Amino acid sequence: MNTWSNYTLQDFIPFTADIYFRLLERMGETFWPLHLLTLALGVAAVWLALKNRARLASVLIALVWGFVGFAFFIQRYAELNWAGGYIGYFFLAQTILLLFIALIGVGLDSNPRKRPVTVIGVVIALVGLIGLPFIAPFTGGSWFQAEVFGIHADPTAITTLGLVLIMFRGWPLWLIAIIPALWLLVSGLTLLVLDATATIVLFTVLAIGLIGLLWKSVEYRSV
Amino acid sequence: MIGGGLAATMLPSMLSFATSNELLQKRYYGDKKLPAIGMGTWRTFNVGTDPKLLDARTEVVKTFFELGGGLIDSSPMYGSAPDVMGYALQQLGIPDNLFSAEKVWSPTGGSAREQVADLQARWNVEQFDLVQVHNLTDWREHLAALREMKAEGKIGHIGITTSHGRRHQEFEQIMANEDIDFVQLTYNIAQRGAENRLLPLAEEKRIAVIANRPFDGGSLIKGMKRRDEPLPEWAEAECGCTTWADFLLKFIVSHPAITCAIPATTKVEHLHENMHAGMSPMPSASTRQKMADYIETL
Repeated sequence: MNTWSNYTLQDFIPFTADIYFRLLERMGETFWPLHLLTLALGVAAVWLALKNRARLASVLIALVWGFVGFAFFIQRYAELNWAGGYIGYFFLAQTILLLFIALIGVGLDSNPRKRPVTVIGVVIALVGLIGLPFIAPFTGGSWFQAEVFGIHADPTAITTLGLVLIMFRGWPLWLIAIIPALWLLVSGLTLLVLDATATIVLFTVLAIGLIGLLWKSVEYRSV
Repeated sequence: MIGGGLAATMLPSMLSFATSNELLQKRYYGDKKLPAIGMGTWRTFNVGTDPKLLDARTEVVKTFFELGGGLIDSSPMYGSAPDVMGYALQQLGIPDNLFSAEKVWSPTGGSAREQVADLQARWNVEQFDLVQVHNLTDWREHLAALREMKAEGKIGHIGITTSHGRRHQEFEQIMANEDIDFVQLTYNIAQRGAENRLLPLAEEKRIAVIANRPFDGGSLIKGMKRRDEPLPEWAEAECGCTTWADFLLKFIVSHPAITCAIPATTKVEHLHENMHAGMSPMPSASTRQKMADYIETL
């Protein structure tokens, strides 16, 4: 019998749903009211992105990627899953990538408001900033389980994917999108095993985000 | 191979009940006895350092022992589960009926002796009752070391594990040729591959068998609940099943070769359901066949 053929996705998720949701809740309990600041940073990043201030917006979201990588993954998620520490390092790498792009200023979209794909970017960013926090409370979870940009990984990745579609073009578009997209895939599969409501949201955002990335790449090449 | 008929004749002699309210005890290693319902910790006990969940799992462990449970199984592959067991045992003290079962695994985890010492410290116990080689990883080296430790009186029993029906041929060879006390394998009403060769061999060699994944990773029982599938009417009359947990677990532990099933849970109410399954009456061989046929029709 092929040893790998009888593994299921569930065999790679070493915790149950209540343990994962409690992890989200602990983040909420520990860092409240920091949520208000991180949400404000997210809203400011979207506003700056639409005002052609992509470098400053990149610096703002770089900060929250660093915080989530350390506080969520390395300090807490890694207790439940050995892979959590490595994922945390990927989040820290995203911080460095964002700061690098902000520093050198390449691949910035000089006129995002004229592009239709910007609408997709704004919608995705708003799903991350406004939509995600309401999923837990509206599906029987506590308010501290509400996933918030800059505190939890999923809304941080979703909002960043939206911002990428607004702010970047060329190779930086894909460079900055790859870690958020990969995390949404991993998280979506995790939530699928845990039978969580947010699963469909993550996969939908990921699919629309990838369409947006392809659209913008083609648009950029044809200019 | 031993067929259903022989299994039916062996059934009554292999089962014993102290009273109708006590858990079924199964014999192993001569005349020693173990409650037929144990507890697994994969996924459910990996709660890290969260104080709220540590206390919740301690409550589960406390209830398990209050209801007469014995064997708790963990592994260094289960994340923080051994530490969580250590926390629970520190809060509760070491119950007399604890049968602690651990595992050793890959070479990167160090030698068997180092792993056992580390896990004993994490569990907060002086000695494990059982140490098994996880998924046959480096089983020759590990079994040799575990055999020495058993001879020195540092561990109670030794064994090997597999799951999901993997590597049964190699597993059978080890059972046939090595001196081991326990095996752990996947056996449930939907995965009965072990009935063909491994369970008869275990009976022949008097090797105790721990059945893992009794609910097939939760999918069996969740599927029944999701579909709101009612229990067949005959299940209560013939073997006292009032829940699907009863139905699925009684099927397993009533097999003559099975010593213990290890369902995992996070909830005290589910633990009550699981432990209830270890009480009489148990299904006869013909009822077991009826149970398996019924599941196949769903």
